[in-house]
Amino acid sequence: MSYLSIRHLSNFVAGFSLKDINLEIDRGEYFVLLGQSGSGKTRLLEAIAGLYKSEGTIFYKEDEISKKNPEHRDIGFVYQDFALFPNMNVEENIIFAGRYREIEEKEEHFKDIVDFLDLQDLLERSISDLSGGEKQRIAIARAIYAKPKILLLDEPLSAIDPTFRNSIMKKLKEIHRRYDLTTIHVTHNFREASYLADKIAIIMDGSIEQVGSPDEVLNHPKTIDIAKFLGFKNIFSTYLIGKESKADYFSVDPNLIHIVKEQSDCCDYSFEGKVEECMGITDHFKLFVSVKESQFFIKIPKRDYESCLSKSKQSVTIGFNEKDVAYL
Amino acid sequence: MKLAYKNDTFNITLIVLAIIIVFFLSVPILKMFVGVGSDKLIDAIKDGEVISSILLTMKVSMWAMVFVIITGLPLAYLIARYDFFGKSFLEAIIDIPIMIPHTAAGIALLSTFGDTGLGDFFKFFGIEFVGTEYGIMIAMMFLSAPFLINAAKDGFRKVDPKLEKVARTLGANPFKVFFAISIPNARKDIVNGALMMWSRGLGEFGAVIILVYHPMTTPVLIFDRFSSYGLSYSAPVAAVIIGFSAMVFLIIRFIANRFD
Repeated sequence: MSYLSIRHLSNFVAGFSLKDINLEIDRGEYFVLLGQSGSGKTRLLEAIAGLYKSEGTIFYKEDEISKKNPEHRDIGFVYQDFALFPNMNVEENIIFAGRYREIEEKEEHFKDIVDFLDLQDLLERSISDLSGGEKQRIAIARAIYAKPKILLLDEPLSAIDPTFRNSIMKKLKEIHRRYDLTTIHVTHNFREASYLADKIAIIMDGSIEQVGSPDEVLNHPKTIDIAKFLGFKNIFSTYLIGKESKADYFSVDPNLIHIVKEQSDCCDYSFEGKVEECMGITDHFKLFVSVKESQFFIKIPKRDYESCLSKSKQSVTIGFNEKDVAYL
Repeated sequence: MKLAYKNDTFNITLIVLAIIIVFFLSVPILKMFVGVGSDKLIDAIKDGEVISSILLTMKVSMWAMVFVIITGLPLAYLIARYDFFGKSFLEAIIDIPIMIPHTAAGIALLSTFGDTGLGDFFKFFGIEFVGTEYGIMIAMMFLSAPFLINAAKDGFRKVDPKLEKVARTLGANPFKVFFAISIPNARKDIVNGALMMWSRGLGEFGAVIILVYHPMTTPVLIFDRFSSYGLSYSAPVAAVIIGFSAMVFLIIRFIANRFD
């Protein structure tokens, strides 16, 4: 049995339902739940924490925690907006769990967390005058202080200044290892997911659509909807490249489609098309080329072209190689 | 004074209308103190009957407030946090005492808790509502509880439910969450509502006099002296209770501003 096993978890609250969620999460795994806004990510985390009444079962090792109240599940939760208690200062927030739970070696544990997350100078402060990054560190410290078996992070980077996101992602991985956590991290950002995840699950409209390693999920989406969500462009029927059996659809990275200037053997597949639109963006041009009924989106570096192919309906030849084709 | 619009006609209209209402609100209060004179005011403060009626009014109003804190906060929390059948109806019931004449409320209370089966039921436990402090308390509570319940309801609505959810995951059961998170974070509205209820209770007359003439609360004492001896005997008592009410009001504002 997995460390955390979620079986047939369903609920229906306020017009939205989680549908038959099944997940197996191993000990020490950094599990990322990836989905758009409104896909049910936060609802699923809250259901795991016991904050919503749900059907189905959740096992922690052999223990069925779905029968327990949230205060007995030993699950830490960090919300997107951190949900720090305004009636307490920073230190009181961090040690809140100590009022209700026996925390082993709590003084050493507190000191370790405060040192590791660099919170020494904030302990006496009111939470109303903290930055987003400070609030995040305190919310994580508060969750870890309770020594949870599983840590649930609900979009922890969305309220953080983008400049600091990379360093915070690194810190999240360090926290995960240092405190021997099993983490479920919810996000809509697939770059964040690819950096952090040992395993990724895609959630859409309350259902888990695909689960696998980051490489498997991010590079080989099972459906067109997942591919579109992951930012795949140029999704076309495989008939366009003469395939019939391999898959129904394929995708090509806009950066890997070339403008064929003259007859050459640059590409395994080449097509005659007409330029619909060309836009200059900082260091590249965005080119939209129609080929039969399909429209290709192509990015070409400015260093290769002096100006945009601005003449509308100009004929061009575009091409790409088999190795760059992702079959869906 | 910095005005929002540079339009003299508009601004002058605002100021004139504001002065009219300020006149009606403040002059009778000032007249009370200026007209009574310091000697009579000091005599009233020294008058044992006046002081005991003020202490009784304060005490019973405080008990009414405590009772509604214990029973009204859970009600306010239920309304703020949950959707249930009949919620709007329940909210309307809470607001009814604000809308009805106080003497009518007194009649309703007397019809319910006077010489009736329900009255006898409470008598069995030694609680009688006619001519006792319990009667004063229930009259004050009936008419001023909505101030506390509605304020607490607004306060609880302002507390992010996520705070309560996180507290649950950190080991607090729902009772502990209520006392450690919900109440402290709604405290500003609860304190305002409680003080408002208390001060409204101090001034309650219409319902109290129907249930309880003796022992006399201050408003009943003022009425008693006015009807028995005239204006000159009742005015100093009125001045003392107005001064006292103003003090309570200033305390409310002071506390409210501190919580800001």
